[in-house]
Amino acid sequence: MKLNWFTRKGIIFWPASIIGWIILFLAAAYAVYTFIDIDGRSHSVSDTMINFVFNLLLIGLVYSIIGYFTEMRGEVD
Amino acid sequence: MKEDEEFLKKMENLNVPEVNPTGHPKLVKMAIMNAERSAALGFWLVAVPCYFLACVFMYYFFNRHVSWFGAMFKLAEGLDKTPGIDFMAPIVLVVLPIVCIIINALAITHVHYEKGLSGKPGAQEFIITIKIKTWNILLILISMAIVFTFIAYTMTENISVR
Repeated sequence: MKLNWFTRKGIIFWPASIIGWIILFLAAAYAVYTFIDIDGRSHSVSDTMINFVFNLLLIGLVYSIIGYFTEMRGEVD
Repeated sequence: MKEDEEFLKKMENLNVPEVNPTGHPKLVKMAIMNAERSAALGFWLVAVPCYFLACVFMYYFFNRHVSWFGAMFKLAEGLDKTPGIDFMAPIVLVVLPIVCIIINALAITHVHYEKGLSGKPGAQEFIITIKIKTWNILLILISMAIVFTFIAYTMTENISVR
């Protein structure tokens, strides 16, 4: 089954359908939630940032894996 | 009739291109995966371990005991001690770079097996072609560096002479 949810520009996968936008929105919402959660438990700004950046990279990785497998493909390498 | 004769003369005097049947046949060298897509995913696969290792190197080698880097160790310790996500550290430091190496290697490598290519009967050739794609090669090298760093760390931590 061919899924055309995302289109790629450089290293970023942009949504190309409503499902893609929903996934992007969920990823962004989860990133905001993790930031608020980490900020509530941490004792300093650096503590918040280090954990948040790590989580943000993991969210970006999962989002990119979804984008990689559901990308709109038109070109032959 | 005259027209036919003229046409036949024209056809006889045509320059026919010479074809060398023993010459190297042209071959479309298709890679298994798309190079740009593999590079895009490869970036995200090495971003997490690179971030972790950058913090560790800054902490130890530049002796910058800033809380930012100290917090990275707390995070790594937290990952190891938390049941359910204790498998995360080896996945981040080993599995992700290895996946990056595989997808980028498949994107720039073409393997071809040919029999009797060099003219000798029974000769067998295994031809490996590597495309020069800067980003894919760079990502493979970075991933290999991360994996070797982790292996070196594991060996030095666990092997001791008694």
